[in-house]
Amino acid sequence: MKMDRRAFLSLGVGVAAGTTLSPLPWKLMDDISIWTQNWSWTPVPDDGECTYINSVCRLCSGACGITVRKIGNRVVKIEGQNGHPINDGGICLLGLSSPQILYGQERVQRPLKRDGKRGEGKWIPISWENAIQEVFSKLQQLRSQDMPNRLACITGTDQGTVPRLFERFLTVFGSPNYIRMPSIVDSYELTLNLMQGGPSSVGFDFESADYILSFGSGIIDGWTSPVRMFKLNSQWKDKNIKCVQIESRLSNSAAKASQWIPIQPGTEAELAMGIAHVMVKENWYHPDFVQNQSNGFAEWRTKLMANVNLEHIATITGVHQDVIIQVAKEFANASTPIAICGQGRGLIPGNMREFVAVHTLNALKGNINQKGGVGALAELDYIDWPEVMMDAIATKGMAIERIDHANTDHYPYARYLMSRLPKVLLNQKEPMLEMLFVLRSNPYYSLPGTAIIKEAWEKIPFIVSFSSVMDETALYSDLILPEPFYLETYEDIPTPTGYLYPMIGLMRPVIQPLYDTKPAADVLIQLAQKFEGTVAKAFSWSNYQTCLEKTLKDKWDTMIKKGYFLDTSLSQVWKKEFTTLSGKFEFKNMELKELEKETTPELEGSKEQYPLLLIPYDSLRIASTSVANPPFVTKTIEDNVLKQNDVLLEINPITAKSLGVKEHDLVEITTPHGRAIVRIHLFEGIMPGLIAMARGLGHETGGDYLYGKGVNVNSLLGSIESPFSGFEMAYATRANLRHV
Amino acid sequence: MTKGESASTNSSRGSGSIIFLFFIIGLIGSLVVGWIIFPMLLYSEKKQPIDYNHAIHLDAVDNGCESCHFFREDGTFSGIPKLSQCVDCHGEVQGSNPEEKRFVEEYVQKETEVPWLAYSRQPDCVFFSHVVHVKTAEMKCEVCHGPIGSSEHSKEYEQNRITGLSRAIWGPSIAGFRKNSWDSMKMDVCGQCHEKETGSKGPCFQCHK
Amino acid sequence: MKESSVHENAKKYGMVINLDKCTGCGSCMVACMSENNIPFKADETNKLDSITWMRVYRLTNKEPFPKTEMCYLPRPCMHCGGKGDHGHSPCVSVCPATATDYDHKTGIVSQIYTRCFGCRYCMAACPYRARYFNWWDPVWPKEMESMLNPNVSPRMRGVVEKCSFCFHRYQLAMEKAYLEERRELEEHEYQTACTQACPSGAIVFGDLNNPSHKVHELKKHPNAFRLLERLQTNPKVYYISSREWVRRSGDNYLIGENKTSTK
Repeated sequence: MKMDRRAFLSLGVGVAAGTTLSPLPWKLMDDISIWTQNWSWTPVPDDGECTYINSVCRLCSGACGITVRKIGNRVVKIEGQNGHPINDGGICLLGLSSPQILYGQERVQRPLKRDGKRGEGKWIPISWENAIQEVFSKLQQLRSQDMPNRLACITGTDQGTVPRLFERFLTVFGSPNYIRMPSIVDSYELTLNLMQGGPSSVGFDFESADYILSFGSGIIDGWTSPVRMFKLNSQWKDKNIKCVQIESRLSNSAAKASQWIPIQPGTEAELAMGIAHVMVKENWYHPDFVQNQSNGFAEWRTKLMANVNLEHIATITGVHQDVIIQVAKEFANASTPIAICGQGRGLIPGNMREFVAVHTLNALKGNINQKGGVGALAELDYIDWPEVMMDAIATKGMAIERIDHANTDHYPYARYLMSRLPKVLLNQKEPMLEMLFVLRSNPYYSLPGTAIIKEAWEKIPFIVSFSSVMDETALYSDLILPEPFYLETYEDIPTPTGYLYPMIGLMRPVIQPLYDTKPAADVLIQLAQKFEGTVAKAFSWSNYQTCLEKTLKDKWDTMIKKGYFLDTSLSQVWKKEFTTLSGKFEFKNMELKELEKETTPELEGSKEQYPLLLIPYDSLRIASTSVANPPFVTKTIEDNVLKQNDVLLEINPITAKSLGVKEHDLVEITTPHGRAIVRIHLFEGIMPGLIAMARGLGHETGGDYLYGKGVNVNSLLGSIESPFSGFEMAYATRANLRHV
Repeated sequence: MTKGESASTNSSRGSGSIIFLFFIIGLIGSLVVGWIIFPMLLYSEKKQPIDYNHAIHLDAVDNGCESCHFFREDGTFSGIPKLSQCVDCHGEVQGSNPEEKRFVEEYVQKETEVPWLAYSRQPDCVFFSHVVHVKTAEMKCEVCHGPIGSSEHSKEYEQNRITGLSRAIWGPSIAGFRKNSWDSMKMDVCGQCHEKETGSKGPCFQCHK
Repeated sequence: MKESSVHENAKKYGMVINLDKCTGCGSCMVACMSENNIPFKADETNKLDSITWMRVYRLTNKEPFPKTEMCYLPRPCMHCGGKGDHGHSPCVSVCPATATDYDHKTGIVSQIYTRCFGCRYCMAACPYRARYFNWWDPVWPKEMESMLNPNVSPRMRGVVEKCSFCFHRYQLAMEKAYLEERRELEEHEYQTACTQACPSGAIVFGDLNNPSHKVHELKKHPNAFRLLERLQTNPKVYYISSREWVRRSGDNYLIGENKTSTK
């Protein structure tokens, strides 16, 4: 039997017929179509039981209640906690993105020791035992050489048990150099201290206020507790409460305000004085408060009337006299108006003259420590650890001046002056710091004047970062002792900035720690216990969680159940009396007179060389505090803020025309402090002559989703130090543009 | 008619049957491939990690299938039980079944979840609500899952090499014939029943996600 | 039109977004991304290929400084009912694969990823740019696969996706209702992720047909408008703005066209 052509064809026909009559082609087609619809490389999320756990967000000082949705053991989503006093179900985009940080590639997964140069990103994993031993031996050396003050520590906030444990450690160790990162918390503390007597933190009863006058505060751009402010902003709209925004650029807050008053940057204090001038001149103030509860009003008034000229103020601020009068009248006619300040998010403490002038407006209306007003909050005194016993080394060390000169004769009003640290280190004649701890802050990235900070960092021989993610400060450190992420551990969260009641939130673990991390406070306790004597004695807890439980005492159970502790009786938590020398609200005391003499330092560089003024701005879509943008948040950045890796520089079309630049042109921006390549974005909403750039870009970390996107505006800004307080007040810098 | 012509006719006759033979070979060969070899090749067989006896468990519980395959408070279906449920009874070895002993030793004591192979798992694009079928429409589990509750051993898990799905989705017949209501879990089966019971197959995302 | 489209108890889920309250903070966008397993790439600045089911647009009145005004406009899928609410939404009527359909029981326009073969007709048809094409396979860094939501299927390269009004949340709410032997949902039981997250309370979601739902009254607000109403797409997303220029920018007008034609 020989297969010829026809037989072969016949076989083929048979095969075809047989195949058609078999399920093979039909089943295969079905299976292949299913296969194409379910690629094996497309992840299929595991299903499982859905559970919800309440906790508190720690990504900013807002202290929102969160509800974490878990499927099985996976954190799938963060939602706002319903009924929570701060955010009642609402949540910001950064909080929502927390799982991306938790599961992010930037997590530091174990203790790391630097290998290679700082910033090179080469690390050697090291055991916790060895890491702690290394820190211990260096600390011990400092003490044995009688130089405990050469240890410094920087934390984001100074409230809550963990920052307080760090402060306690430094004290008992013998270093006065515990430093809090700068923010408007500094300037509000000082304002209250000067005018109402301290110590206290500021609380705003926006919930009952009926007129809001904001001197550049980013009410919906992240100021104080962002979600609370969003909620309030909507409440004001529902209740028809007027909100006036004074700002040189049409920010979101300005766009959403009832009225936007553009102003020359840096002249807010003058405008506030102008408004006060009108109110006093027209007798539009609260007579009872001014006469019975205040001190120095007459003298202040005489000087105000003599020195302030409305016409002059209109010229320098760029705000028309009629507008000043209109605002003064509205503010005076309101029954509980609140004036606030602190630019944008409030990351820069700012100009104390402005804070005092703005708070004076509140005082003129007598809207102090009352419903609908501004109040001084006594801190919740739940941290009552036994006083530390000081040994000779510690006593001696603590007697030495702080490195930043805060609370010394030079700067008697400031508690912390982080912004001065780089300058001090650069001018040091002999080494002043041997060792630095950094906790929950990213000073290497987030302070104005990046070039100077980089240089100053070189002067610190040993830097320990406690960061749970690789941020710039961690990248340029020598040892990273990673904390668990906030979703993995217990901690108390202090009162959110500006909230009207003192409050403690309980952050709790919603998932077992993913990596080999250790709470920073536990590291501290273990370090302390390696010492003998007073240092060990000051940290006699077995671990941090015990310390927290013991500290919170009876509150612990309430907080486990409810998630927070809150005392909502205004009469009890707001200070009733003024604790100034006079026992009254101070319009003009010695310190305030001193402040009056202060003149804002001239901006560096000449107007000829740098004809433009660069201002930084905050956007909720770009995290700019200790946390950097997770991928979701970066995805929301508009293409007129960031385009590929170029940051866009806002400029008024009139200014652009005069400079001969067009939309999306690449230009080089030069300031006395640095230079960068940026793209032009024409924006009608910015004052001619100004240029604006977003804060929070230009990271050296963050992997594919963040690294190298845009420019860190801090590298273009220079530090401006207030002569009176020593606070950072970098509100702008001179700048020039050049085509490239 | 010449010799040669005749020869050629003969040979064409002979070759005609050969041609037919080849046709038959092709036909039968491909039928064998399509009906017998192809299904054998298409599915890989896997054993369940533990040979599970449904019948014995169903006798021991009060609430039928839902005793273990229960509805959560949020209305979702729990599916195959987690180890924590089994531990309630099987914290210690109870009987003499070697499979139970193995289960306790390898999974309960080591606190690892059993990697059960789910016969009825649909691809990720399918949304199926058990509660509306079982509670609202009062359907019996058997209608879709068959008499699995009375099985004394776990049957082999057959996995489609192309789609990765369980054979139960397509059904035992490679041709897609159904003898029982539970013989297939394909979309057509859902659609037919929905059309009959509710008057329409429903919008796409009633069952797709 | 099929008979089934005229349901007695048909729901018509929709949104009313108060643009006076919207702050442009972006919470809705991220809540949506997190809820719906929206992928992300290294560079998301090309907004044409950046998948954002919910996208917040920035509008300005184009007036020179200092008369400039700005407004944010969140744009989910409009779930158009088409003329007469018959379900002839622009995308549904052009899809050759029946990968997108209109559910007359809820008024929601679905998108079935496994059905879609990526011809992108629907994208061309959608006047709101609410539809996005997966030009690439979504890739999550390995650890981040842990945060994927099992209630929404991750998509694959070559298909179109869009806002579903978090229909899976409707499904889950119905499961609970069925267990409790109910057939109807309370207003709060079914809310989209963006509505839930919005810190300003600018987004209100509910059944436009149900007088007890907030959206029922809100949509009748004198300052309420919809986008491109003149196309008769009949969107289910309403906006409220007290500013006329914002309301006018909701539609296209010829230069000099009668200014009062806007509501």
